[in-house]
Amino acid sequence: MKKISIDPITRLEGHGKIEIFLNDAGEVENSYFQVPELRGFEKFSEGRLAEDMPQITQRICGVCPEAHHMASTKTLDALFHVDPPSPAKKLRELFYSAFYVTDHTTHFYILAGPDFVMGPDAPVAERNILGVIAKVGLELGGAVINTRMKNHHIIHMLGGRAVHPVFGLPGGVSKGLNEDERKEAEQIAKDSIEFAKLSLKVFDDIVLKNKAYVDMIVSDAFTHRTYYMGLVDEKNKVNFYDGKVRVVDPDGKEFAKYEPREYLNHVAEHVEPWSYMKFPYLKNIGWKGFVDGKDSGVFRATPLSRLNASDGMATPLAQEAYEKFYSTLGGKPVHHTLATHWARLVELLYAAERLLELSQDPEITSPNIRTIPTAKPDEGVGIVEAPRGTLTHHYITDENGIIKKANLIVATVNNAAAVNMSVKKAAMALIKPGKEITEGLLNRIEMAWRPYDLCLACATHNLPGKAPMEVVIYNSKGEIIQTLKS
Amino acid sequence: MDEKTKTLILGLGNSLLCDDGVGIYVAAELKTRINRPEITVMETGVAGLSLLDLLVDYDKVIIIDAIKTAEGKAGQIYRLDPKSFDTALHTASAHGIDFPTALEFGRKLGLHLPQQIVIFAIEASDISTFSEECTPGVRKAIPVCVKMVLQELKGLK
Repeated sequence: MKKISIDPITRLEGHGKIEIFLNDAGEVENSYFQVPELRGFEKFSEGRLAEDMPQITQRICGVCPEAHHMASTKTLDALFHVDPPSPAKKLRELFYSAFYVTDHTTHFYILAGPDFVMGPDAPVAERNILGVIAKVGLELGGAVINTRMKNHHIIHMLGGRAVHPVFGLPGGVSKGLNEDERKEAEQIAKDSIEFAKLSLKVFDDIVLKNKAYVDMIVSDAFTHRTYYMGLVDEKNKVNFYDGKVRVVDPDGKEFAKYEPREYLNHVAEHVEPWSYMKFPYLKNIGWKGFVDGKDSGVFRATPLSRLNASDGMATPLAQEAYEKFYSTLGGKPVHHTLATHWARLVELLYAAERLLELSQDPEITSPNIRTIPTAKPDEGVGIVEAPRGTLTHHYITDENGIIKKANLIVATVNNAAAVNMSVKKAAMALIKPGKEITEGLLNRIEMAWRPYDLCLACATHNLPGKAPMEVVIYNSKGEIIQTLKS
Repeated sequence: MDEKTKTLILGLGNSLLCDDGVGIYVAAELKTRINRPEITVMETGVAGLSLLDLLVDYDKVIIIDAIKTAEGKAGQIYRLDPKSFDTALHTASAHGIDFPTALEFGRKLGLHLPQQIVIFAIEASDISTFSEECTPGVRKAIPVCVKMVLQELKGLK
């Protein structure tokens, strides 16, 4: 067999890139976060049946298909003017909570964990999950796998298959739970709560008890005062599945609260000549460039944003964790990007607790799971919180439900401006004239965007796994002086 | 290798993104050609740990996926095993869990994972246009790759 060596750079084609430009003095002049262009989604969607969209859009992404499936399903409710029966809504939220447990678990242990457990300066070869389990023990690794598998089992039970579920329908869902399945879900939820508590303890032991890490989290290099966005319920508590979009200002005061259908009154998209990606901003503040502060329309939509944009968590243990989060970090809102990892664990606990509540809900085994739509479709907007941030689907159809126009704003796009700013600020703080640019230093710059859990182009199914990113540093003559591939 | 070698054929890719879906199309074709109880043919778009979940309890896995190399010709097919690009993948992915790392992680945890892993990678041309069809050069590779996988299975009892 011919041995083929594949240079990693070739597999970065079509993936994300961060370019950092230095000036004559060797200081950071500017940086650009770029993603590949995916062409033709609008055209691709046109002429399709709207009810196929929950199946189609979930195939965009290999990481969070369930989020697209759910946003699309809710868009169909709005499009067909149908209100699903209460058990159907609860089943959707149960399904979605199980998905959250799997996704947040993966992010924390696979992406965030290595930086803190192994340390930001650990050699690349050790800074991964294998290093983590070598240090904290196989048992925790087993718990990660088990939690994921069990919650995938719930997704499988309801969606008919583990990948690309067939679950959400306009006006309801395709399948309910019987009593045996309910019991299974209940036990999985209980186990997931224990796992989430353990994960918060791991964070406490490894990160919060290490002064150097806490100093890094609250350092200016990883801090931006922005607006924050997240879905909230009627009591302004965090909700992943439904509610109104709430935006708070950098002081934590409510700036806007609106129904999904009103999103275009609040969010506009700025275009830059160097990027295919559009940069959403708050329309009623305006685009003032890649800057933070109250006068800039830049907002963030992340786990940290959801906590900042809410008045708390709707479940007891998560509420306790929420209170500890803010009391430790000096009150609301928290502007430290690295605290997003902690916020994610608070949400993990909430997702597990919510899963338990729903699995014990008397309505959850009800066969009343669908309201058949009867109205003519025209236009619909659906918003859910994807694990990475607010996800919006918007379809316009003819009276036969054929798509005329489709628009999606995915979580990573919401955060595009903030990611740019975070990388630039970290780079400016860390790259200094005459200071050697080490791998550890570049990793710390990478840590500035890792909390956002970029889901680039949602095209991350390929063999390497997560979307690869490349950092390229140029000197003032435009020559490449260093690259980092991740 | 006894008669009960549990084999998984996994078509990997994104069937919305032109040539990125080639692995899915090969698997779909194989589904119509293979009728052996010990062989499962599956199509998926997942990655990393989710991919690991799918491999549990199989003895052998054949993965079909799209690939982009620097000087490859669209439709060219490479037969790889994880060792042949182990180093490159480790270097490339410090934080996302790449395939060899996911496998090693699973093995350390004592999961029953395939001992034999073969990857057929098909050189893609366009992986960034929304389309449910491959470009002509890549489309031609589909029946060729199907034959290669069937040939690979002949080695199995």
